Amino acid sequence: MRRGGFLDWLDARTGLRAARARLLDEPLPSGTGWWFVTGSIVLFLLTLQFATGVLLTMYYVPSPDFAHDSVRFIMQGVTFGRIVRGLHFFGASFVVVAAVVHMLRVVVFGSYKKPREVTWITGVVLLLLILGFALTGYLLPWDQKAYWATTVTINIARSAPFGEYVAGLLKGGEALGSLTLLRWYSAHVFLLPTALIGFTVAHLYLMRQHGISGPIVAADGPARPFYPYHALKDTIAIAVVFAALLTLAATVPAPLDAVADPTDAGYVPRPEWYFLSLFQLLKYFPGPLEPVATIVIPGLVVAALLALPFLDRRPERHPRKRPLVSGGFALLGMGVVSLTWLGLKDSPPEASEQWSPLAIAGREFARDERCTSCHRPGGLANLLDETRMRKEPQWVLSHVRDPEVIAPGLRPPPQGGMSEAQAKSILSFLQEASAGEPAPAVSSGIRLASLTLGRYCATCHTIDGEGGNSAPDLSRVGATRDAEWLRRWITSPESVDPFASMPPFGETLTKEQMDAIVEFLAGRK
Amino acid sequence: MSSSNDEQGRRQFFARAIAAIQAAIGGTLGLMLGGAAASPAFARRQENWWTAARLATLTLNEPTPVVIRVARKDGYTQVVDRRTVFLVRSGDAQVTALDSTCTHLGCRVSWDRESKQLKCPCHGGTYDHTGAVVAGPPPQPLATLATRLDGDLVLVQI
Repeated sequence: MRRGGFLDWLDARTGLRAARARLLDEPLPSGTGWWFVTGSIVLFLLTLQFATGVLLTMYYVPSPDFAHDSVRFIMQGVTFGRIVRGLHFFGASFVVVAAVVHMLRVVVFGSYKKPREVTWITGVVLLLLILGFALTGYLLPWDQKAYWATTVTINIARSAPFGEYVAGLLKGGEALGSLTLLRWYSAHVFLLPTALIGFTVAHLYLMRQHGISGPIVAADGPARPFYPYHALKDTIAIAVVFAALLTLAATVPAPLDAVADPTDAGYVPRPEWYFLSLFQLLKYFPGPLEPVATIVIPGLVVAALLALPFLDRRPERHPRKRPLVSGGFALLGMGVVSLTWLGLKDSPPEASEQWSPLAIAGREFARDERCTSCHRPGGLANLLDETRMRKEPQWVLSHVRDPEVIAPGLRPPPQGGMSEAQAKSILSFLQEASAGEPAPAVSSGIRLASLTLGRYCATCHTIDGEGGNSAPDLSRVGATRDAEWLRRWITSPESVDPFASMPPFGETLTKEQMDAIVEFLAGRK
Repeated sequence: MSSSNDEQGRRQFFARAIAAIQAAIGGTLGLMLGGAAASPAFARRQENWWTAARLATLTLNEPTPVVIRVARKDGYTQVVDRRTVFLVRSGDAQVTALDSTCTHLGCRVSWDRESKQLKCPCHGGTYDHTGAVVAGPPPQPLATLATRLDGDLVLVQI
């Protein structure tokens, strides 16, 4: 067959070349510059979200039992999984920013005006759909942040008219649980993508139908085809955005909190940054006024956006000659930015990413043969680094203290359980590990001090909220006691206070253990 | 004419630049997404030694079926597979382990004491006590698994 023969054959059967020409040869007005790449960036990012999302569904399980584990597996066990999830997670923020920038470009250039009113409306719907993706995707990892942010979202919905029904629709069951997760998953991967594809096709069709609006002041010169002149600008802009997103995804792991715990009263939920302005707005409308922040103001903003091309009907496109629209958007922008900034300032400090001393000790204890006889590669039980923490803490404590109790007769149990303090340390380690937090590198001094704490002190003392509660909290003991006092006290409490109830550790601890624990505790201020 | 040639050159250069950049983006994404999707195809299972039986319980030259619990990772969780293996003692300290999977189409074979043969219920595949094909469609003998003795314990590598 001669060269090009197959393409000629295919073209004769499909009209491929004519379709390609229709797609790429659209004449663009002279002076169409870099501002007109924003739509292509949004389209690229949405495609990227779609591709990475499909990949994630190969490994993700939409069930409260497995969702968190499967996301952790994606991060730790799947080749490129960490980057793919990073692209999807950070890509969500990129899409929101790109869509807003694109909208602002359309507003500044007055591109929404006749005859492009419907193009604008489809664009506003697309922006809402993108926010819908962000909201539904947030729950899927089933971590603390997901659970509590969704709890807040559902409760906000209750303030709407027929709020109880809306909340029921969002929950899908009596309480936030597996039915909720499945429903939000279904929305995230089926309903919203279907709507998004439909509106995107409509948006692009309308864009081609009317041609692009071009520069505000028409430039001299002939129109030029989209390909390759503007296509090159689009491609370069997309490459820059992709490089930035990829760098972020490759260097910063997408966050994953501890698995959702409905009993945790101490967790302060925070929405993702693009919803922070709404979250902050809520604080200014307490009690019965709440619907003003949750329904009225956002509703008015969306209504105003949808109605914009009908409110501003003059053909004038220059932003300075449209002071109401320009001023309105500037005000809205400033409002969103300041509320977001106030919300950020008001955020609680991020939980420390450092492991607690007991977790560090627990990791060491878990290397004991009593654990690794089953928890080893190819062993009867999972590796502890990968073990799911789905049992009650009390179960874990009992299991570590006496493995036979948990599974009598199933297998030869390891000889001898561990002390209560060691069991608490291993529990702490499992909680850190199952939160997906990688083990920190610690100095040998801190390691030894942590082991000593875990082996001896934590039976009675609390440190960083963990351990026993029959002796004083050691978390900030260095603020009131110096190293010399601590050494004397640990060696022989009765030499400091004749009525001390703590047993002496002078002969139990080695010199290295004593030095390490004294230095460690004295530094806790 | 020359300016038209210049324009043609420019267009060609732009088109090549677009193709190159898009190929770079597509290649990077293809590598990562393809890698994430296809990596399980290249994963090799890690083999371990599992305790199968005590040597004293095995009869000379007669396959004894034992069920071995094989724990393995299944993505984000761990499952325990039950694998049936035939242990054949052929000497004082020599044990062969035969996989119970028929080499024809993967059905489970069983030991027929009367005919002293391993038989497949699906298509009549028949093997002798060493795993060699005696009759039927199996294309090759039953697979053997590595074994070793640890004192009285027979260990099988799966």
